[in-house]
Amino acid sequence: MTIHDLRTRHGDASDGNADQVGGRLSRVDGPAKITGAAKYAVEQQLEGLAHAVLVESTVPAGKVHAIDTAAAERAPGVLLVLTPDTIPPLKTASDWFGTPPPDVPYCPLARDIAFSGQHVAAVVAESFEQAVAAAALVKVSYDEAPAIADLSDAKAGDGIPIDMMTKEWGEAEAAFAAAPVRICAAYNTPREYQAPMEPHGLIAVWQGDRLTVWEPSQWLDGMARTYAEWFAIPFENVRLVSPYIGGGFGSKALALSHGAVAASAAKMLGRPVRLVMSRPQTFTGYGGRAATRQTVTLGADRDGKIQSIVHRGVNETSMDGMWVEPLGSVTSIMYATPNFSSKQNVVRVNSVVPGAMRAPGENPSAFGIESAIDELAYEVGIDPLEIRLRNYAEQDPHARKAWSTRQLREAFAAGAETFGWSKRSAQPRSMRDGNQLIGWGVAAGTYPVRRAYGEALVRILADGTVEVESSSIDMGQGTYTILAQTAAESLGVPADNVVVKLGDSRFARAGVTGGSRLAGIMTGAVHKAAGAALDQLVGLAISDPRSPFHALQANTLVVSAGRIASPRGDGPEVSIAELLASVGADQIEAKGDTMPANSTAEDRYKAYTTIATPLSHTDGDYSRHSWCAHFIEVRVDEDFGTVRVSRVVSALDSGRLYNPKLAESQWKGGIIMGIGQALLEEGIVDRRHGRIVNNNLADYLVPTNADIPDIEVISVGIPDLHSSVLGGKGVGELAIVGVAPAIANAVFHATGKRVRDLPITLEKLI
Amino acid sequence: MRDFSYLRATSPDAAREAAALPGAMLLAGGTTLIDLAKCGVAEPEALVDISHLKGLDTIEVGEHGASLGALAKMSQVAGHDGIKSQFPAVSEALWQAASAQIRNMASIGGNLMQRTRCPYFRDPANFSACNKREPGSGCSAIGGVTRGHAVLGTGGACIAMYPGDLAVALVAFDAAVHLGERQLPVDDFFLLPGSTPDKEHAIRPGEMITAISIPASAAARRSTYLKVRDRQSYEFAAASAAVGIELEADGRTIRDLRVALGGVATKPWRAWAVEEALRGKVLEEDAVRRASLLAVEGAVDHGANHYKIELAPRVVARAILKTGAIA
Amino acid sequence: MTSQTTIHLTINGHDHSLEIEPRVTLLDALRDRLDLTGTKKGCDQGQCGACTVHVDGERVLACLTLAAQVEGRAITTIEGLAQEDGTLHVVQAAFLQQDAFQCGYCTPGQIMSAVACIREGHAGSDEEIREYMAGNLCRCGAYPHIVAAVRQAALEVAS
Ligand SMILES: Cc1cc2nc3c(=O)[nH]c(=O)nc-3n(C[C@H](O)[C@H](O)[C@H](O)COP(=O)(O)OP(=O)(O)OC[C@H]3O[C@@H](n4cnc5c(N)ncnc54)[C@H](O)[C@@H]3O)c2cc1C
Ligand code: SF4
Ligand code: FES
Ligand code: FES
Repeated sequence: MTIHDLRTRHGDASDGNADQVGGRLSRVDGPAKITGAAKYAVEQQLEGLAHAVLVESTVPAGKVHAIDTAAAERAPGVLLVLTPDTIPPLKTASDWFGTPPPDVPYCPLARDIAFSGQHVAAVVAESFEQAVAAAALVKVSYDEAPAIADLSDAKAGDGIPIDMMTKEWGEAEAAFAAAPVRICAAYNTPREYQAPMEPHGLIAVWQGDRLTVWEPSQWLDGMARTYAEWFAIPFENVRLVSPYIGGGFGSKALALSHGAVAASAAKMLGRPVRLVMSRPQTFTGYGGRAATRQTVTLGADRDGKIQSIVHRGVNETSMDGMWVEPLGSVTSIMYATPNFSSKQNVVRVNSVVPGAMRAPGENPSAFGIESAIDELAYEVGIDPLEIRLRNYAEQDPHARKAWSTRQLREAFAAGAETFGWSKRSAQPRSMRDGNQLIGWGVAAGTYPVRRAYGEALVRILADGTVEVESSSIDMGQGTYTILAQTAAESLGVPADNVVVKLGDSRFARAGVTGGSRLAGIMTGAVHKAAGAALDQLVGLAISDPRSPFHALQANTLVVSAGRIASPRGDGPEVSIAELLASVGADQIEAKGDTMPANSTAEDRYKAYTTIATPLSHTDGDYSRHSWCAHFIEVRVDEDFGTVRVSRVVSALDSGRLYNPKLAESQWKGGIIMGIGQALLEEGIVDRRHGRIVNNNLADYLVPTNADIPDIEVISVGIPDLHSSVLGGKGVGELAIVGVAPAIANAVFHATGKRVRDLPITLEKLI
Repeated sequence: MRDFSYLRATSPDAAREAAALPGAMLLAGGTTLIDLAKCGVAEPEALVDISHLKGLDTIEVGEHGASLGALAKMSQVAGHDGIKSQFPAVSEALWQAASAQIRNMASIGGNLMQRTRCPYFRDPANFSACNKREPGSGCSAIGGVTRGHAVLGTGGACIAMYPGDLAVALVAFDAAVHLGERQLPVDDFFLLPGSTPDKEHAIRPGEMITAISIPASAAARRSTYLKVRDRQSYEFAAASAAVGIELEADGRTIRDLRVALGGVATKPWRAWAVEEALRGKVLEEDAVRRASLLAVEGAVDHGANHYKIELAPRVVARAILKTGAIA
Repeated sequence: MTSQTTIHLTINGHDHSLEIEPRVTLLDALRDRLDLTGTKKGCDQGQCGACTVHVDGERVLACLTLAAQVEGRAITTIEGLAQEDGTLHVVQAAFLQQDAFQCGYCTPGQIMSAVACIREGHAGSDEEIREYMAGNLCRCGAYPHIVAAVRQAALEVAS
């Protein structure tokens, strides 16, 4: 029996008022952020707080020979100096797949050095200043060993084949050899860094065997699990709190060794300890995007129809960890081809293990294939947009399944129209303005719809306000806001009356916020929880003898703008608060989740604390992805080789948008990070020292406001109910994919020079 | 940062006296000094804060030129009407430097004293060899990452680039640095690294910059500062040029030309050869481009900074053409 | 040698006295000693603008300013921008309307910078706003919306 009608609307991006899903509600966490009231994790003021500072290895390989802590220990205010010898051993925690770990002790401070910048000691003092000064007094000596600095190191070799990454169909090599037109080129991307504006850090506090960690986190449940396993305490004994996160971009999903150091120090001292990485430490304390190399060979007809794609990729990983950046992910699905082969190796170098950074895999993958197809376009003399349409994949060429939705053709059309692509002159170097060569480039992007599970709790309070609780987080994507909208719409209350509480592992659970999955999962969970709460509310109203609706004998009621009435409008109309008062209820509470109905507690624990159980994006009959097309104008100074992006029009298919205002912001943010990737960002390694030398924000250049023109984004999505409960697909990572190749393609159009190594800095053009 | 004592100077003389004590340093805006103290490069025992001294922040522009108090802020000088009209290159060099916040803090005296951005210099914990920091310890940059290093004025001991912008404009227009009684041409104030890269300025212990003076000239009135960099803003120069031109009455013959380079040399670099080659010549593109190549005569690269040798003459040429209004 | 001294700071119109070492920066004094955590630390090296505050009405970086250096000067932080009754400053309101932030971490610095940018008369065109707001990095990439917010607020201030 449906006793109410959930007014979930499935319209286009602009539908709905602000209180509903799809409306342009301003950020509900906005007022706190613009007044400085929003307290980020490490900003909690705790009684007795001590301050920890890390000491890092200055050699890339070898062993710690000795650590002289005498001077540091004597320094004013010092409470504790931790070294591999004095920090109590922890237990090794399972990895993010939940693989049971080996039963060996884990020491978060290293004796064996696998990269420069590895944590080898830590100093804890009464004040931050004292800890910093004392850390400089810790003297570490090393037995240095030879290191492999990076992918271009002669000792690096070909690496380890990752068979799981191999994708093949048809006879790719033979078809390539037979093709009348052949393109073969190598594309490289350097180490790139997430560089969130809030550095990594935490405050750890122990009460008996209960640990509270205030830490910016993209995954409270996963990190809580790691802390629990390290310290061999029950999962329930760890509370992770992360109310606001100052940007993550993939880098804040895992508990890292600095967290273990701080929590150990807190335990030893019996005091809260804060440890925040310095900005330079953030470049080696965790991994950015791995450097990659790809070769893309395309065999095609004279009319530009692709016959074969042969793709080989390599990414770097660390000596002590494994990171695979899936380089064939876009290559294998963007264009229709009868013959295909993609393989990938991973090369070990002396660096921190690389990590996830906005669209890991898809991003560098697209740089390869979307540059290569542009090269093919010029080779056969076909417009770069036209060649993409000629090779349009009508279904997933790899999974051989229908797309759930693919509005890429629409994206090309809308973007081209707004950009004025038809006015493009085909020849490179044919458009200029004084000393500036002008170029127009296009490229497509895609990102899979990653699906997993989430829970939410919805509580209707006596005063009629609504609380939503979830251990998911908002690092700027707008979770607070869209969940308020979802609850508001589902319950029929104004969004103003909804309070969303996130970022506490004591709340209803959620998996990792990464892979652009959270919005789809959590709107679904809140929708369900709100539906259950509404069922209870209406049930009470109908059945409780004290209810004003009791006499009505209705079998359904409607709730709108926080007021309850019969659908026909006869009978009473009362506010939620009045109804609850009349029936003597303090509150109504319901949990909702997106787990299969028969899930066990163990299933749930696994679903939220590991990434072992996501649903494949090609599960069932469909292949699910979001799509986009970027049209970009660059101006290249003919003398100086400086490239500036002067115009961007991007059309994107993220399915239904839960809040277009916030989705547009995320899209633009992705495009801007893509501009940085294309033109500025590169971790520069000193090969002799195996060390990143531009480990700060003045030398690792990210775009400034002055580097960014107006950006126009157009939503071409339609609701995709195969992808999520409410019809949305991924937003956050999609937009960066394809930006770098669109810019490289525009630079070629402007200058006639094809730059295949990012970033496109001026020396590559003069 | 090691602990230090803090003293607020009450007069320039008191400041000089206090700063002459061992381990003491002057503190103006702090944007170089506090930064380097955090890096572990500067280890002052005492800071003598001169930022509150009265009377050292005046900006006067008259018919003979400009006099700038050492404590005038970069932003104040950049926005000063007289500077904008009489010395446009000086204003442009300043507003294109650093960020609005830093320019509000930084004094122009401190600006001249800013130190290289060489990443090895700035990271003593990781790179012990640096002749500028520790004479005789070697140079970590040579053979390493050199994209931002100098191609002019280098030697075997140090290839660090002087990163400032203002001094480039000052050296072009024959400005002088006033150290109380004594004064020095800006060109002589900055020292080549030679075998003593730790000595960067001809300032003596106990001396303080009190003012900077710039003589008026027709070339300064018609001047430009052109700064080329990877990022559009908030970055040091990949190459820059300060150029001033005075034309004969015919409007095309060059009577006086001033050219100085930034971002490519170990000190603010006057390109005398370019000036000489073009003085008396007609301002025309080919000749300008040819003469601009002289700006990098004798340049030596260290691999990744080779592009600066290509780039600098183009920046000079564009700056000349732009200032002469034919580009 | 530790050298605690007493310093008096005037922040958002209120007087505070602190026992600190001279090496303590204004940023750490605000965040660690005064629970004024609205001012953010993004780099601690003058390279990001997250720590922007006003000293005597001008925008400066708190991470490169010693607390001792600004004794006797009027300091304004993001917490002191709205009126006592909570009415938002026009720049704050414009940031909310234009969605000029995502994670919010650079935002207090952006807002303090924007208020000064308008006051300085550097908000005359989009190009000028971009240049004069370039000292505040935003990794979330809110730049176009920041420009829109500054433009909107500048018009409101002018009228
Ligand atoms: C992120 C960043 C980006 C920057 N970008 C640029 C740029 O693009 N272009 C550019 O030109 N600059 C740039 N700068 C440098 C900046 O301009 C200088 O740091 C600033 O001008 C120094 O002035 P200050 O008053 O802060 O000096 P302080 O830091 O106070 O002092 C610097 C040094 O000079 C000494 N000193 C100060 N005043 C005097 C005096 N009157 N007499 C003698 N000695 C004195 C001090 O003892 C100290 O050793 C940048 C700085 C930063 C942090
Ligand atoms: S270039 Fe100069 S400053 Fe840099 S490491 Fe060498 S000696 Fe030191
Ligand atoms: S924290 Fe001060 S500029 Fe980054
Ligand atoms: S809003 Fe996140 S860094 Fe600007």
